Amino acid sequence: MTRPAEALALDALLRRVAQMRDRAAFAALFDHFAPRIKSYLMRLGTPAAQAEDLAQEVMLSLWRKAHLFDPAKASAATWLFTIARNLRIDAIRREKRPELDPQDFQPEAGPDADDAITLANDEVRLREALKDLPPDQAAVIEQSFFADKPHSQIADELGIPLGTVKSRLRLAMARLKSALGNTP
Amino acid sequence: MSIRHHPDESLLLAYASGTADEATGLIIATHMAFCAQCRQNVTLMEKIGGRLLETLPAAPLSRQALDATLARLDEPAPVAVLDPAPSRDGTPQPLRAYLGADLSGVRWRRMGPSLAYKPLFRRGGISAKLLRGAPGTEVGVHSHHGMEYTLVLAGGFSDVTGRYGPGDLQVADSHVRHSPIADPGEDCVNLAVTTAPLKFENLIQKIAGPLFGF
Repeated sequence: MTRPAEALALDALLRRVAQMRDRAAFAALFDHFAPRIKSYLMRLGTPAAQAEDLAQEVMLSLWRKAHLFDPAKASAATWLFTIARNLRIDAIRREKRPELDPQDFQPEAGPDADDAITLANDEVRLREALKDLPPDQAAVIEQSFFADKPHSQIADELGIPLGTVKSRLRLAMARLKSALGNTP
Repeated sequence: MSIRHHPDESLLLAYASGTADEATGLIIATHMAFCAQCRQNVTLMEKIGGRLLETLPAAPLSRQALDATLARLDEPAPVAVLDPAPSRDGTPQPLRAYLGADLSGVRWRRMGPSLAYKPLFRRGGISAKLLRGAPGTEVGVHSHHGMEYTLVLAGGFSDVTGRYGPGDLQVADSHVRHSPIADPGEDCVNLAVTTAPLKFENLIQKIAGPLFGF
């Protein structure tokens, strides 16, 4: 199974930024990701002008933190998602995000240990499994990321009990995990 | 260490997607410091976030946005926060960031002979605090106006819903009426987040509860 060329290319660009401070690679990443980050922030209710400013901040953060990017742990898209998520909490909600610290636990080891090939295969399987989710499960997963509302409110708006939203989330996560070969 | 009580998918997704409030985020992150299974789940949820980001339609930026950003690449970066020194007593880092100290260095406020607490922060109606009960302490029968999240940091407690040990997270909503009792042996230390005041049934606690911020 191969990883989509585009995703690999993006990861490679990010590594060029980290290793060579390559501005052309940065510009290519900007063209790809900044409009999606802006779109993500707008979906969460950020006005367009502010979303654009924040998207630029996210990309600036990418430039400064590129040396921390580990292609064996996450794709460029996942890494940028976490940066955008955290900057939004910081800038829009004016809160902190309580973060884990690897000092607190032993890194996970064993056959599931992270490596670039496992990760690449996982990304492909995840992409397919997300496509194959039943629409009602896909909808609550998507809302979880883009609605900025508690699940109780999402349930109200869908006119279904909170328990139904939770069971859809549970089923969706179990499917995605089993697609990735994790035990549910 | 075997953890029996985990946050559900809804709570983990709120943390992974960044929609959880700060107090709830703190209790989830602290649980994750104990729990490899939930760390793995959140890692998967972040991958889903990355994938969803990729599938969003692009919202074009103004033409000068790239140049404006390129022009800022050489600006000095904000001073990075230094990595904190490791905890000397195993206090999870997300919690230490709020305590400014290890758990063993907490200055507790007494409330009665066997209970002590330490407020961490309050925002809107949501508050986070530490609670410490001597072995065998009974908190008092109460129910909830909102949600009550309780994470055991040391020792343990039991109530009608089960037994909770280090790393276990109890989630009690407005339907739960309980009176947790600390296990015998060692002090029970919990991180507690409430989204609304508790409803005590004992008259003295009804009066005293609000004084202590419960």
